[in-house]
Amino acid sequence: MYPQQIHEYLIRFFKENNCQIVKEHDHYITVQLTIDMDKKIMNRPYYWQYIENTDGVPSPAQITLITDQNKLTEDIKGEVLHFGSPRLNQIFQATNDLGSFVHMYERVAENSNGQPILTPWLGVNYKVSYFSDQTKEMLYSLGINLMTGEMKHSFQEEIRELDLDANMPKNAFDLMYIIKPLRGLERLDAAVESLIQQDDHTWADEAKSRWQKDRQVLEHFYEAMDNKPECYEMEKKAMDEQYQTKIKLDIVNGGLFYIT
Amino acid sequence: MIIERSSTWKEGFIERLENRESWDNWTLYKMSYDVVKTNLITDFTGLQSPKYLPNLTPLPHQLEVAQTVIERMNGKAILADEVGLGKTIEAGLIMKEYLIRGLVKKALILAPASLINQWVEELNHKFYIPAIAYRKNYGLDHYNVVVMSMDMAKRSPHKEHIYEQDYDLIIVDEAHKLKNHKTKNYEFVQDLKKKFCLLLTATPIQNNLFELFHLISLLKPGHLGDYETFQAAFSASKHNWENDEFLKVLVNQVMVRNRRQDTGIEWTSRRVQTIPIQFTQQEKEVYDMILELKNISPEFSSPFTMITLQKEMCSSKEATYLTLNEMRQKCTDPKVVRYIEEIIQKLVALEINAKAEKAYEIITEANDKVILFTEYRASQAYLQWYLHSKGITSVIFNGKFKASKRDWMKQLFKDHAQVLIATESGGEGINLQFCHHVINYDLPWNPMKLEQRIGRVHRLGQEHDVHIYNLAIEQTIEEDILELLHVKIDVFEKAVGELDSILSTFKQSI
Repeated sequence: MYPQQIHEYLIRFFKENNCQIVKEHDHYITVQLTIDMDKKIMNRPYYWQYIENTDGVPSPAQITLITDQNKLTEDIKGEVLHFGSPRLNQIFQATNDLGSFVHMYERVAENSNGQPILTPWLGVNYKVSYFSDQTKEMLYSLGINLMTGEMKHSFQEEIRELDLDANMPKNAFDLMYIIKPLRGLERLDAAVESLIQQDDHTWADEAKSRWQKDRQVLEHFYEAMDNKPECYEMEKKAMDEQYQTKIKLDIVNGGLFYIT
Repeated sequence: MIIERSSTWKEGFIERLENRESWDNWTLYKMSYDVVKTNLITDFTGLQSPKYLPNLTPLPHQLEVAQTVIERMNGKAILADEVGLGKTIEAGLIMKEYLIRGLVKKALILAPASLINQWVEELNHKFYIPAIAYRKNYGLDHYNVVVMSMDMAKRSPHKEHIYEQDYDLIIVDEAHKLKNHKTKNYEFVQDLKKKFCLLLTATPIQNNLFELFHLISLLKPGHLGDYETFQAAFSASKHNWENDEFLKVLVNQVMVRNRRQDTGIEWTSRRVQTIPIQFTQQEKEVYDMILELKNISPEFSSPFTMITLQKEMCSSKEATYLTLNEMRQKCTDPKVVRYIEEIIQKLVALEINAKAEKAYEIITEANDKVILFTEYRASQAYLQWYLHSKGITSVIFNGKFKASKRDWMKQLFKDHAQVLIATESGGEGINLQFCHHVINYDLPWNPMKLEQRIGRVHRLGQEHDVHIYNLAIEQTIEEDILELLHVKIDVFEKAVGELDSILSTFKQSI
């Protein structure tokens, strides 16, 4: 992310969360946090505990975030944010917490055939991580039609440009799902697992052969010893942990979409 | 293969389906997806860390080291770049990469006490890694990245506390301190679990090949075979062997080493001179009397005492006096006492220190900032007095100084004094690129110490050629030291690779 992208991201993030942007400059912003946002990103649980226990008057922080220190000509006091800074990571985390589950309807114009019909879909974004002594991650966005069971890949890319609204449009007719959302979720889970299974897993074989090679070297070193020292077991354990292969499956977010 | 999954999202979803929680905002939903997509690590190989570090511009050789260590050495390596090429940056890049990839959660950095603050500072500011310096009353549970001195870590109860933790990455700075496998340091690190491990040292061999064997056996036991086999293959003489090409290949599988000239950066050159010095007649007499000591009494047959005395006599009468005086007090035989007193008398009467005069001459000619290294505190004090009497300002530098005092002394040297007089232990970890003359007033036995000394000055950021003056008094033990230094450099170069010049071709010049 470039400074400009971070800047836009922050403004969107705070606006969506009802935090007032007190000052909006090209390379920094000053924002008045809400109580909820303060709790989420300011790392001061003791303060909040204290205020709540004493019925004190809460005073959520006002912060200045500098998004491009290099282009800033004025002398502004504030926290410099960049891609990789802990505060930005916290904001990313907050975004994820606050954007995990949605329930959206497509806004549609009335057509000549009468009332438009909205079909329910379940969309889920999965992050898959492969681990050995190395890592690789993949993002799968899957959608399932809760009427027909039809499945789509890159679902998020497909719906992101649609005009969606949290409220049901008055002019449209939404179909009640036939496949229950939790059943749909199970099917998507199975689909993503099968994607994982079909994937090329030479990485795991390679990790295993690295592990075997290291293991042989270690065994050779302690071969002659009848009573192997404690550090031998320690080395073995470290090696197991280092090369152990593992796949992790996380859901980034997901939701119900009523779309044409 | 096992797929790890969590049911957290499903539970939250159910709560919303049952209207017990409210749904989230669509814009944040989209932003969240985009962030995950932007941060996705799409490949097993390649470095992610640079894009997270906008305030750091790593040099090409540093990036290459980080990538080699992670991809070819599986995160277990000796980082052995020459002094001043940025081993800390390399280690930081590797650690950051593992943190980003989620392969390391907890890391422990073991460093000499004097370098702890520098580590904490660099990790926090250059790498945004929230490292803390360990304090005695801290629990280790709550801190993920801890910097600690080796001296503290190896002692109880800290040692036990460390063993209780589950560290994924261990970094040992100045790892040549682990060269001796019979020390507590070595034992401590040997018993640590080392999933990923980096040993940092510019000088993986200081004296002999076995040091390298022990260092590598700590990192990857068995990589060089077991001790017996190794000994049989390489110890016909400690300094000569035939399999050196094969050894070099093995060593290079676990060790990365950049030399200044490999870095693609224009380095200023090193101009090394060995300056032969003649004792004055009077000094020579005292030196010869010291040599005679072993024939006067069997008490002085210990080569260690004799060598110390000879070396001290090559440094200053002040250094010699301390040792001699101690010997006299321990001595019972009146004949011997008389002999020692005779030496002391002659010693005290000495008016000229030929070596100090030479040093003064070099300093005057340089007409610039100079660092002078001596092995003895007494010589250090004498030299400050002597230079002062000649109108030259100097500051003193010891390893025992606290961090704040070190910084202060460095600043004094930079702003107000012409000469910095340092003892060996003061050499580690200070960077003095603004200076480009180094006088090795006394020579250490170990060439890597010389390299460490020169590295204080000849490092990234040095804009001038660096002048190094190795002082050696003719027909004394210092000639033998020079000879041995050459042999050791030869061992190093055969196993590890070439070294930048530390010594001039003294043999030819004498």
